Amino acid sequence: MGTYILRRLIQTVGLLVLLSFLLFALVNLAPGGPLAGQGQNRHTDPEKVELLKRQLGLDKPLPTQYLIWLVGNDWMQIDKNGDGVLDSYGTRQGIFRGDFGFSFRTRQPVLTEIGQRLPNTIYLTTITMAFAVLIAIPIGILSAIRQYSAFDITVTTFSFAGQAIPEFWLGLIMILVFYAWLKNPFTGDPLLPSGGIAANLGRFDLWDRVAHLILPVLTGALGWIAWYSRFLRSSMLDVVHQDYIRTARAKGLPYGVVLYKHALRNALIPLITLLALDLPYIFGGAIFIEILFSWPGMARLYYQAALDRDYPILLAVLIIGAAFIILSNLIADIVYAYLDPRIRYE
Amino acid sequence: MLRSKNVSLVLLVVLITASLLGCQSNATSVPASDEKNITIVIAEDPPSFNPIIADTGYDALVMELVMLGLSDIDPDGNIFPELAAELPTAENGGVVYDEATGGMTVTWKMRQDVQWADGEPVTADDVIFTYDAIVNPETGGWIPGIDYIDRVEKVDDYTFTVYYTSVYPGYLTQFGREQVAIWPAHYCDASQGFAAWDCARQPLSDGPFVLKEWVNGDHMTFVRNENYFEDGKPALDTVTIRIVPDQSVRKTMLINGDADLDMWTTEAMIADLQNQPNVSVDPSPTNRWVMRIFFNLAEKGTTDAAATPHPILSDLKVRQAIRAAIDVDTISKEFFLGYAKPVWTEFFRPPYTCDISRPKFDIAAASALLDEAGWTDTDGDGVRECHGCATAEEGYKMEMEFITYSEFGEPLELTQQFIAEQLGKIGIQLNLTVVEGSVLWAAATDGGIEQNGNFDMDLWDDGYAGIDPTDFIYSYYSETSATPDMGYNFMRWINAQFEELLNGSYTLDEAQRQRNFCEMAQILDQELPQLLLFTVVNADAHSARLQNVRSTTNDLVTWNAADWTLK
Repeated sequence: MGTYILRRLIQTVGLLVLLSFLLFALVNLAPGGPLAGQGQNRHTDPEKVELLKRQLGLDKPLPTQYLIWLVGNDWMQIDKNGDGVLDSYGTRQGIFRGDFGFSFRTRQPVLTEIGQRLPNTIYLTTITMAFAVLIAIPIGILSAIRQYSAFDITVTTFSFAGQAIPEFWLGLIMILVFYAWLKNPFTGDPLLPSGGIAANLGRFDLWDRVAHLILPVLTGALGWIAWYSRFLRSSMLDVVHQDYIRTARAKGLPYGVVLYKHALRNALIPLITLLALDLPYIFGGAIFIEILFSWPGMARLYYQAALDRDYPILLAVLIIGAAFIILSNLIADIVYAYLDPRIRYE
Repeated sequence: MLRSKNVSLVLLVVLITASLLGCQSNATSVPASDEKNITIVIAEDPPSFNPIIADTGYDALVMELVMLGLSDIDPDGNIFPELAAELPTAENGGVVYDEATGGMTVTWKMRQDVQWADGEPVTADDVIFTYDAIVNPETGGWIPGIDYIDRVEKVDDYTFTVYYTSVYPGYLTQFGREQVAIWPAHYCDASQGFAAWDCARQPLSDGPFVLKEWVNGDHMTFVRNENYFEDGKPALDTVTIRIVPDQSVRKTMLINGDADLDMWTTEAMIADLQNQPNVSVDPSPTNRWVMRIFFNLAEKGTTDAAATPHPILSDLKVRQAIRAAIDVDTISKEFFLGYAKPVWTEFFRPPYTCDISRPKFDIAAASALLDEAGWTDTDGDGVRECHGCATAEEGYKMEMEFITYSEFGEPLELTQQFIAEQLGKIGIQLNLTVVEGSVLWAAATDGGIEQNGNFDMDLWDDGYAGIDPTDFIYSYYSETSATPDMGYNFMRWINAQFEELLNGSYTLDEAQRQRNFCEMAQILDQELPQLLLFTVVNADAHSARLQNVRSTTNDLVTWNAADWTLK
């Protein structure tokens, strides 16, 4: 197993280098560029374009830009003041040494920008996922053991609806109902806040934090609940029809023990693999949720960077995201082998 | 191996860790209830407090709360001094024209009662420090007209002189307006460079408010500057800016009383807020953004109108026919809810207004113009072909691509479709494309559609900031600007007489400038390189309790935040 993991990790590095090339090419070759006008200006003045190209390192050919992105430019002479003379060494270290450059938009280090947003996204997405799993598991089990019951049919209907309802619509309706229409009967304030992490970030107030979580978590979790409960239902149905379950019942074990000790533990194995594969969501966040509920997270950072063609941010989020996906796959494989003794990786 | 107790434990740990992770912030005190606090909601974080770097509008919005420039412009177009004690003019001896060199010197006298929030005075040293930072070739920035400046010299602590190599009519607001603030020499770290220095994110204030806290993506908190030079101002204690990306959420917050100001309120939102008792919408007295059609006078994919003229649009009669076939009033009423104001010349707002008669919407006249130009439909497919036209081969179909940009949203896309329908009625077929602005306007080297001439007709909005149109006109209509990446003359329209008038408008003689501009307006009206349609509204919605808010096209709505009061 150890050798297997090591081999997979080495493959991961190779894969990431290949991906870095593809992502860099895709981002840079996509139509449009960071030198188009922003915000109030439709265009950037020609004089400013020249200055920006030099300051942002866009004046060099793409292969050179890629090399600098990977390994930095602190080992090569560059022309900093635009007089055509190579006058000093660069300051970039490259992503191999953990330097993802600086944002074109804010001129802040990319990792600072990501560092400001990532905790907020992890905060929301872990709670959303945990909530989804907590709700989905009992629903999945009940639907399976009471297959075709009224409960099962109702849950199935809602599951399909849950997967079909777009988040941006559901989120708006949630805000309309719980923020605009319903009022707190005691204070007359809106029942729930429209968005943000807290009313006052400096002061920790548990109820306020929970109140700010309710709408984004509910909106975000609905699709996951539907997806996981459907998955567990079918996985559970597979398991309960196995011979060993019949054997367990035949030898007189109580139904509850059979269900939870024999059936559920096996039915959860594929779900856990699925959860591991969904881990990148925890890093990336959900764009509609973050926009609607004014949540200062990664998805909004990425979206803004995509609109502004802020290449360093885009590339950092993409490459870190890719690493997460590869890593999640590896975790899924390992966890799968760990949970199911029949699986062996040689 | 997998027990439910363990699962619960893991989940509990996840929840606690997650909530701790999400709690990173500096401490904020809770404002007392008798304090005068307001909340502004905006769609995205400002990149910094320095609009020269990214110019998103949001940077200027927050800059106006905390920083001062030498001068600014009010909503009616009057320039007023901020850090300056008075505006230098030829009459008061502040501006001296040097006939021998063709240059001019401008001597500014500064107020002596303005301090930074730390008690240090704002002096000429700060101005020179700011200028030096901007022109640093390594780390600096660029502002219009900066290339006309030879040097800036200190006369005394509160006086300095700017030496121009030629006449620059926009000198009065060059170091002010929504664009340039004067930065503190003793606080900003020059070695970090103008484009990236920390003081543009944690500024030292000399304006009405002081930045207290900035939680990226969430909010910014400003408190009143106790050292602000205007007595008794600002009246507000705290200004909170909340980042609320979704427009409908911002609208609901305004209606619910949780927000006091929304900037750049759209036409649809103004209409929705019309009957809300606790919300007012304040349109600015003049508008800036003119929706317009750009005609590519060069053949699609080329950039020289003389060498490779456009087979359809290089014919003036065709452009005139298109102008006559578009019903601007209906567009305003149907898609812009009546807030779009018809405009047909660049010189439509003070101080430079020219008397150009409004073109008539007349489908029959449009058809007649096309017939006259040799474009007729002989095969009965509803699209005209060239039969004796001067610009294309016999049988060439009158079919073109019509592009607009996506960020503006539904009203513009409906306008695009409506124009295509109207031109369809006179036998011009337009194929519609909607692209991102960053693709349409990108540099030629980045594959920009317009810079490379890869379009026939484009529809989007622009207009000059401030009150001086000279640089704007230069960048759209001058010969130099017709070269890819040298400007925005995507029409590749070159006119010697216009060029002469434009060069002549770089003068301090206001009467001469007015004359030149109106002659230029005549030429543009006759030649029609661009077809100007209407202005879009410039308005900011605010709560009824927030008083003295004045929307303006000459700056951001926070330009007079020091005067805001609460009812």
